[in-house]
Amino acid sequence: MNESALVLTLAASMVAAVPIALAALGELLAERAGVLNLGVEGMMLIGAVTAFQIGDSTGSLWLALGIGSLAGALFASIHAFLSVTLRANQIVSGLALVIFGTGLSTFIGKSIEGKPLDTDFTSTRWGVLADIPVLGPMFFDQDPMVYATILLAIALTFYLERTRAGLALRAVGESPATADSMGVAVGMVRYVHVIAGGLLAGTAGSYLVLRQVPSWSQDATTAGIGWIALALVVFASWKPLRVLLGAFLFGFARRANFWLQGEGVDIPAEFLSMLPYLLTIIVLVVWGSRDLRRKVGAPASLGVPYVRDER
Amino acid sequence: MSFRLERRLEVHWWNQALTPVLSILAALAFGAVFLLFEGFNPFTVYKALFEASFTSKFGITDSLTVAVPLILTGLAAAVVFRMGLFNIGAEGQLYLGAIFAAWAGIAIADNLPTVLGVTVVLIAGAIGGALWALPAAYFKAYFGTSEIISTLMLTFIALFLMRYLIFGSHSYWRDPESATFPQGRKIPETARFELWGNTRLHWGLLVAIAIAAAVWVLIKYTSIGYDMNVVGSAPESARYAGISVRRTIMLAILLSGALGGLAGATEVAGRSFSLDPNGLELGLGFTGIVVASLARYNPWAVILVATFLGGLRNAGVALQSLPGERVPVEVSLMLQGAILLFAIGGEVFARYSLSYSRSGKVVAA
Repeated sequence: MNESALVLTLAASMVAAVPIALAALGELLAERAGVLNLGVEGMMLIGAVTAFQIGDSTGSLWLALGIGSLAGALFASIHAFLSVTLRANQIVSGLALVIFGTGLSTFIGKSIEGKPLDTDFTSTRWGVLADIPVLGPMFFDQDPMVYATILLAIALTFYLERTRAGLALRAVGESPATADSMGVAVGMVRYVHVIAGGLLAGTAGSYLVLRQVPSWSQDATTAGIGWIALALVVFASWKPLRVLLGAFLFGFARRANFWLQGEGVDIPAEFLSMLPYLLTIIVLVVWGSRDLRRKVGAPASLGVPYVRDER
Repeated sequence: MSFRLERRLEVHWWNQALTPVLSILAALAFGAVFLLFEGFNPFTVYKALFEASFTSKFGITDSLTVAVPLILTGLAAAVVFRMGLFNIGAEGQLYLGAIFAAWAGIAIADNLPTVLGVTVVLIAGAIGGALWALPAAYFKAYFGTSEIISTLMLTFIALFLMRYLIFGSHSYWRDPESATFPQGRKIPETARFELWGNTRLHWGLLVAIAIAAAVWVLIKYTSIGYDMNVVGSAPESARYAGISVRRTIMLAILLSGALGGLAGATEVAGRSFSLDPNGLELGLGFTGIVVASLARYNPWAVILVATFLGGLRNAGVALQSLPGERVPVEVSLMLQGAILLFAIGGEVFARYSLSYSRSGKVVAA
């Protein structure tokens, strides 16, 4: 009984990990380009409310997911314009995105608050594979987005490490002046990756309303996942595959209560909620000192606007 | 085809003064689009907003009540942001300030005269906020650890700690009588700010203004303020001038944390009279960053901007009790965000001009 509760929790953690991983992978792209976007929560909310509206009126799951993602991308382009073109303070701009996104999504979501949504992602059972103990429910009985997320993390690793465009991206994040002199369009690379980051945040938000909590409510829908995603990028030291692992760990922390209570272990829910942030601080402090910064992998020009003629 | 920014050779005073006004007008126009889309008359909504927050009697005092913590979190952000140090954790420092303040109120202030009781509560709040900023300050100063991430993480740890104290346990802070709906234990009368007449406004407003003045003096006229300016603008020169960069960074972040904690203390002593997780989960700390940014990190401007944004926040609440026209409460939050976005953009246009060329090649100005 207790073991199956653990297995159920592990399988549920896979689903819980998807929006965290998607949002964090998006943020990773922006940060690798040297742009810090604290507005993840705002972009997710806009994606979520848009996806719900589309899903509610058309009944099409994938259309909802697609338009919700685009809404996130559109929102991110505000941040791209402010921080890349106008070279505004990225921290203030990102936070403004959260405030605006929270307000706007609550406002336009007013009429649909609490309304249930019929559509649901269906899991695919992989025949006998799904019967393998523990691994079966975790990996072979999930909805398509779980697999898409895993593939995306692998693809992004390949993109960053093995392609020309990925090399240009890393150069822009580490040393924009060098990238510029090599002929890389620094501003363009930053725009593309900030907007791609918003797209993924939008997907993450959409998935939340379409899959996990099939109804819209501003404070319950994202429930701080945007902030956890920001932590995760640091926790995973800017590496896509580590983001995947970290997302599973953080997702497990969000779902572990159910299993722990069955085991008779009574850890207050608040402490489990703290865990991602606490782990990130520890990682940051243990590995984040100045000398070891390169090893951790924070892009050297993170948060610094690039100005060609003033240097 | 490309856009580029060119630094204005002269920044005229009208550029500086017009920027906030134009930003607000642009944000209102932008917000109007969404209002129309949802079927509201923007003019009716904006008129109701303005009346609810500024022209009615309780409107203005309620707006000022909200402004009190915003002035303090605004100052918290201003003192460090102007140095290029980004303590974005005023939110968490505010929570810890509230936790410490509520504790001091319950445990110490009971048998003290009111002035002393309130002072103890405020000092406890400042200590709580500074302590919560301490790890971030230390790791920034001595290991170069990004204070952006560490203060943000500490904010969420503080949030869940506060929830735990009221909702998750029978802690010292929780009212033992409140079994079904957990609430904070009330602090005694002697630990509370006196209210002004029959309004909700309290003496915390004067405290906040006095502290803004003190911060201004500190920045402008003291050697610590001078060190902070130098470290902020030219850390290398500071080192040559014999200023301890580490000590100054530590001090600045701790001061910022103390101001954030103080904001939590004024909320406890002046408004909620207990540790109230529901009342505090409103993003006062994050809004403080908005306040500081709109005020261009100037302590006096922080007071004005905080009052304006306080009014906007308060309008959300006030609109609910307004008879007649149904105005959606969420408009105020949406407008706050829009104003901020336009202000960030506008700020740049005050200092730069945007030029446009079809060929993509521009002769450098």
